[in-house]
Amino acid sequence: MDSLSVSNDLTIGILSLQGAFVEHQVSIERLNLNRRIRVLQVRTEQDLDQCNALIIPGGESTTIALLARLSGLFEPLKQFANTKPVWGTCAGAILLSNSVVGAKKGGQELLGGMSISIARNGWGSQIESFEAPLQVDGLRDSTRPFSGIFIRAPVLLALKNSPNDPPIQVVARLPQELTPESLISQVEEFDADTTTIVAIRQGLHLLTTFHPELTKDDRFHEYFVRECVLNANSP
Amino acid sequence: MTSPASTPIPQGAGSSATPSVAPARSNTSNATSSLGTFGVKSGLAQMLKGGVIMDVVNAEQARIAEEAGACAVMALERVPADIRAEGGVARMSDPKMIKDIVEAVTIPVMAKVRIGHFVEAQILQVIGVDYIDESEVLTPADDEHHINKHNFKVPFVCGARNLGEALRRISEGAAMIRTKGEAGTGNVVEAVRHERAVNSEIRKASSMNEEELYTYAKEIQAPFHLLKEVARLKRLPVVNFAAGGIATPADAALMMQLGCDGVFVGSGIFKSGDAAKRARAIVQAVTHYNNPKVLAEVSEDLGPAMVGLTIDANLKGGQMAARGW
Repeated sequence: MDSLSVSNDLTIGILSLQGAFVEHQVSIERLNLNRRIRVLQVRTEQDLDQCNALIIPGGESTTIALLARLSGLFEPLKQFANTKPVWGTCAGAILLSNSVVGAKKGGQELLGGMSISIARNGWGSQIESFEAPLQVDGLRDSTRPFSGIFIRAPVLLALKNSPNDPPIQVVARLPQELTPESLISQVEEFDADTTTIVAIRQGLHLLTTFHPELTKDDRFHEYFVRECVLNANSP
Repeated sequence: MTSPASTPIPQGAGSSATPSVAPARSNTSNATSSLGTFGVKSGLAQMLKGGVIMDVVNAEQARIAEEAGACAVMALERVPADIRAEGGVARMSDPKMIKDIVEAVTIPVMAKVRIGHFVEAQILQVIGVDYIDESEVLTPADDEHHINKHNFKVPFVCGARNLGEALRRISEGAAMIRTKGEAGTGNVVEAVRHERAVNSEIRKASSMNEEELYTYAKEIQAPFHLLKEVARLKRLPVVNFAAGGIATPADAALMMQLGCDGVFVGSGIFKSGDAAKRARAIVQAVTHYNNPKVLAEVSEDLGPAMVGLTIDANLKGGQMAARGW
């Protein structure tokens, strides 16, 4: 990336229209890397222009999409996602998906960028929200489970990469017995194996349906910076 | 999934003590996951931050709120301004009406129960609302006790006028706090008073040593361990929203600049001239609360705001903020 050869500082933006953006900021700022990282809350196109990578936080996907549209950020965000690393958590994961099931009436806008289909609120209402330990290969100290916090979480329904898309790599899964049963009756393309996937990588992008930013464990933030941002910038 | 029959009833007077840990997802799930932990309860509140939660009385209003960018809706039969005007006992809404709203929107749906009315809370939990507001806007059902909120899987938000009250509610299990303000008045003065009181007390606690904190905990009637946590964090340990009297985008931005994490708007939207436009403007004001230029743009041409009321001894419906203990 050209801007990087000019300055050694890496700027990671956090889309700060609505939701848990401060939590992501705190997690990134806590990282102990040998590269200086600047964190920027992104609310305008000028903010976005300064970023080498972006995190789209949890929140309400309908609210974030509308605010992006009203702030003139929607198209710039789409273009950003075409060329630069983006990590979406929960609502952010929905926005990065190419298609969504369970959208609000009349449909909702998505940024797209990852060739998957996803269901909103896959487990049902808040009383079905849960925590579960995840076994994640690729994290530092990977034998230690990562605490997955799933809040009205979306569920992956199908991986739909065409031959031209970058391959999709599954990063984390839930145990089979936690499959969201309530979805089976509602969704045509239900595939029990895909619905256990809770974190994937595709190209420069990372997607998690749970909330690493709500834990004190920074290993997923470190993973994003190391694998998606730094690796992509120094092949 | 757990079936209602196998789920222990969260709280019943005289029933044996319920465990404070949340029940496992199912009996067979070798304890690999757990529902209703404090982490997922307070976590949902964190996802609502920087957003606007709007009072709605039917599915049609709920859809307008969702289209305007609300991050959640509060389902209730009468908005606070009407509760004031009509008087009488205000209770939990008809579950049918709440279910219609749950069906109509994809964003979280909250609903109110009377202070201390744990059976209304059991009913709301079983019909699947996402958050319960144990609210002074409804007529209290218990004039001494609040609900023991730990035993529910559904999270609770409660109102507070000062730090002591906020920490008492958190101690009872509230996963989110809001200012009480003075609901249904369109007058932001009480919400400002309550937010400033909480902030001022947090600053005071942050400068104290442990001996002083013991005495301060006694003085403000707060549990010591929570007060100590507040002093360390220099903020409430849960998300803190503004509520009670917010009527304009400027009101919303004022509360955000005073340090609130988000905003409830009750009567302010659907008692105004152009509800959809005002709702959208308040949503934008909460995101861009530090940008007066955007605030000026979104405040333009919104039509008449709700009629405001002076808060004094003659206030019709009385001062709701005084309810709660």
